[in-house]
Amino acid sequence: MDAIQLLLLSLLFFGIGALLSLLFNGNSRYTRLIPGMMGTIASGIGLGSAFLSAFSTPSPLDLPAALPFGHFTMQMDFLSTLLVGMISFLGLAANLYSISYIEHFSDRNLGVLGFLTNLFIAMMLLVVTVANAFYFLVFWELMTLTTYFLITFKNKRTEANRAGYVYMLMAHAGGALIMLSFFILFITTGSFEFVDFRNAQLNSIVKNSVFLLAFFGFGAKAGIVPLHIWMPSSYSEAPSHVTALMASVMKKTAIYGILRICVDIIGPSVLWWGLLVLFFGALSAIIGVLFAMADQDIKRILAYSSVENVGIILLGIGIGMLGLASRQPLMALLGFIAALYHSLNHSLYKGLLFLGAGSVDYRLRTRNLNEMGGLAKMMPWTAWTFMVGALALSAIPPLNGFVSEWFTYQAFLTVFNSQVFTIRVVLPLCAALLALTGALAIMVAVKVYGSTFTGPTRSENASQASEVPGSMISGMFLLALGCVGLGLGAPFIVSFLSQVVFTVFHVTGFTVSGSVWVYPGDSVNNMLSTPFVAILLMSLLVVPLILVAVYGGNKAGRRVVKDPWACGYGYSSKMSISAGNFDHSVATTFKGIYLLRSMIQRPFLSIANWSRRVRDQITRMEPVLEGILKKPITKAIDFLGQKIQLFQMGDVRVYCLYIILTLAILLVVVFQIG
Amino acid sequence: MISVKLIIIGLIQALVVLLVAPLFSGFSRQMRAKMHNRRGPGVMQNYRDLAKLMKRQEVVPEQAGWFFHNAPYITMASTLLVLMIIPIITTQSPFGWVGDLILVVYLYTLTRFVISISGLESGSTFSGIGSRRELLVSVLIEPVILLVLFVMALLAGSTNLGVISTKIATGQIPYYTSVLLGMLAFAFASYVEMGKLPFDLGEAEQELQEGPLTEYSGRALALMKWGIYVKQVSLVALFFAVFLPFGSMTSILTGVPFLSSIIFSIVIFLLKVLLAYFVVALLENAMARLRFIKTSVITWAAFGAAILSFVFYLANV
Repeated sequence: MDAIQLLLLSLLFFGIGALLSLLFNGNSRYTRLIPGMMGTIASGIGLGSAFLSAFSTPSPLDLPAALPFGHFTMQMDFLSTLLVGMISFLGLAANLYSISYIEHFSDRNLGVLGFLTNLFIAMMLLVVTVANAFYFLVFWELMTLTTYFLITFKNKRTEANRAGYVYMLMAHAGGALIMLSFFILFITTGSFEFVDFRNAQLNSIVKNSVFLLAFFGFGAKAGIVPLHIWMPSSYSEAPSHVTALMASVMKKTAIYGILRICVDIIGPSVLWWGLLVLFFGALSAIIGVLFAMADQDIKRILAYSSVENVGIILLGIGIGMLGLASRQPLMALLGFIAALYHSLNHSLYKGLLFLGAGSVDYRLRTRNLNEMGGLAKMMPWTAWTFMVGALALSAIPPLNGFVSEWFTYQAFLTVFNSQVFTIRVVLPLCAALLALTGALAIMVAVKVYGSTFTGPTRSENASQASEVPGSMISGMFLLALGCVGLGLGAPFIVSFLSQVVFTVFHVTGFTVSGSVWVYPGDSVNNMLSTPFVAILLMSLLVVPLILVAVYGGNKAGRRVVKDPWACGYGYSSKMSISAGNFDHSVATTFKGIYLLRSMIQRPFLSIANWSRRVRDQITRMEPVLEGILKKPITKAIDFLGQKIQLFQMGDVRVYCLYIILTLAILLVVVFQIG
Repeated sequence: MISVKLIIIGLIQALVVLLVAPLFSGFSRQMRAKMHNRRGPGVMQNYRDLAKLMKRQEVVPEQAGWFFHNAPYITMASTLLVLMIIPIITTQSPFGWVGDLILVVYLYTLTRFVISISGLESGSTFSGIGSRRELLVSVLIEPVILLVLFVMALLAGSTNLGVISTKIATGQIPYYTSVLLGMLAFAFASYVEMGKLPFDLGEAEQELQEGPLTEYSGRALALMKWGIYVKQVSLVALFFAVFLPFGSMTSILTGVPFLSSIIFSIVIFLLKVLLAYFVVALLENAMARLRFIKTSVITWAAFGAAILSFVFYLANV
């Protein structure tokens, strides 16, 4: 069985999972179990397909004549394989986690939640493998729709509806830009196939406009800075396992889109593309982390931190594009490796952190950092896994976040070979900005971990918290393991990523990893070995132990007192530093930048308000138009409707059955051909 | 890449700095006393303090958890690893096969991360404020350090500290204006990182009860203090390795007897560190304390110097 067939099997399982969760809607025990279980199995198969495809690239799947708008084509090159692997792994963890987690929403319709979640993952898998622009858009829009329903799932809350509305607006604005860019390509090439796009000779006007449309279109989904405003609210409103998927892999489908369209298909040939990407990357990184610093809501903080991380990924992509445009293969290679590696890392640790935030929310029913505290004692597993995520987020060696930042710095450093003055000016400044971002990111990580899991408990709920159920722990544990694995296994990962860059972006001639080392192009000068870092750090822990033993410190023992010292006064937990006053000093130091926030958000929010007003106006005008226009049309439609009603049972589940049946028939056809 | 001699040198470096670090802090303590017209406790006082603290019972608040108990060990381990990577005895990086200057910067980050979380974990107000200050200073200083090191790496064409050190020592990178400005900015940054007046943070006994260390006692406090002494010396060593690597062996493979040349280099290194501590102590005692919130106003100057260093690099002077 080849990788694409296995992927189709995984999609089939997602489909069955979605269907079954609707069927077992009433029975709450099965409703909780089935979507998660089916999703886990399907993700497992998807992961298998990614592994298979990493070793032997499958031949593309082509379904001619079966459907209109050209062939339904799917292909799994190394870039798609990477994305399929990421989505499946996160799907595995999130589904495992969801089995116990969705109890949290037992007052809502759990069958629908399971249906949407399974469908959402399936759509992401299709988006990254399909090789036809038309179907790409269809799946892209379906992905947007399912996430919209997931965000507004808790629709009793008006915040959720508002969040969903802003998301819908931004996502469709982005979707429209992408559509336009594909349309331009369609007009010039007369085909919807990615292959034809790639082989076509495009003139510079077409290239530039496609680049701009695609970059900002996908950028809206990825959350680059002026277009990020939907993220904090929708990430915090969606259920946590969905947020984990949205933040970690749905964002990466947008990164995939940028890489596929802007780099793979049209190919960066001019310098300013790379500079533009670099500019928005740097802007997103610094603004994202500063906003994360200023918030008190754990999921909003993580959402802003995702903006920052997308910025770092875009820095990598920008360097890569500059490298391609200025014909410096090493720069391109390191830039793209940094971007891909950081995408992979970010999806793991941000997924992990969102799941951890969900666990805290599950027990405490709050997302406010100031009402948490001291949870490490009550929820040790959650605390441990969250800590791994926080360390990875802060790029602490030898975890995975460090390796990708290392590669980003190394990519910046290739500037010393460059003859282009602009590149020589811009890249080192971006490196300094990255350092600032890194330092602030640590502050964010310390703030989030510190005020959630350490110190005194700050609310009634927090002091009564207990560890979350096993399935949630196992989901988080899987991702924590992944973070450690991606850090220590850096040479292995990098060798695969370099294959991605070699095959998809056609950069060759350098090796970047060998045995236990990774190095930027040559192994003579500088290298990094995360396994050795881990081993040395572990073994150096012996030194302080020896020191204590030599001085006879072990005999003294330890006495635990109830409270920390408070100048002789009675201690109160209100004395400890909470998230609120933790970031005060940053707020005063970077006052100017925080002013920017309102400036950035105002126009977008006013557009949102304006469109809402237009909608209201239309609703008001409706009765007037009714008599003139609507009546004859309604009559005709009524007549037609009665005929069609034979198919319409009026039950959502039946419609879903139609969709699934169509999917199943398609799959049978596929297997017949394959 | 990996040679036995280099590994031995790396271990010797870490050991030497570990053993002499309290001496240097004692020296600066003694010097401060002299400048205050006091007699002072003598340069060996820190060893006596550490020995005594080690034997004392540890008193910890109930809320203290994993980070609080392990931070002293992690701090020590990561700083020692830094000392194995920085070229001290030779101009080569003894453990250069483990990582480069980016790893060194991020190992300092690891230390900062665990110390500040341990401060929050104790639940004490003082240690909480101390943690926050520690992190804010790093936010202000880290871009300076990285930009300067980046310019040096650009000049050397490599992020390996050994390569930079060797190229400076052999004159392959002459002292351009950019190098001198970088040296200035880096000296400033490492001065701040060492926790000295007017940015006094780690040692602000009167004001903040030693910041994140407030709740530490007994052997944990001893290890924490020792770790911080070692970290201060390692910052000085990093400065000398990148900007003034004179006296270090340029190659360990020449005919010079191995042992005697190591001893010679160590002596030179210790003298250089002593000189640095002398200057630092002079500066520290000549300055008044600065309101913390004003720190950012001053660190911009360092960032300015770093930017200028970069501009001069672009102009090739």
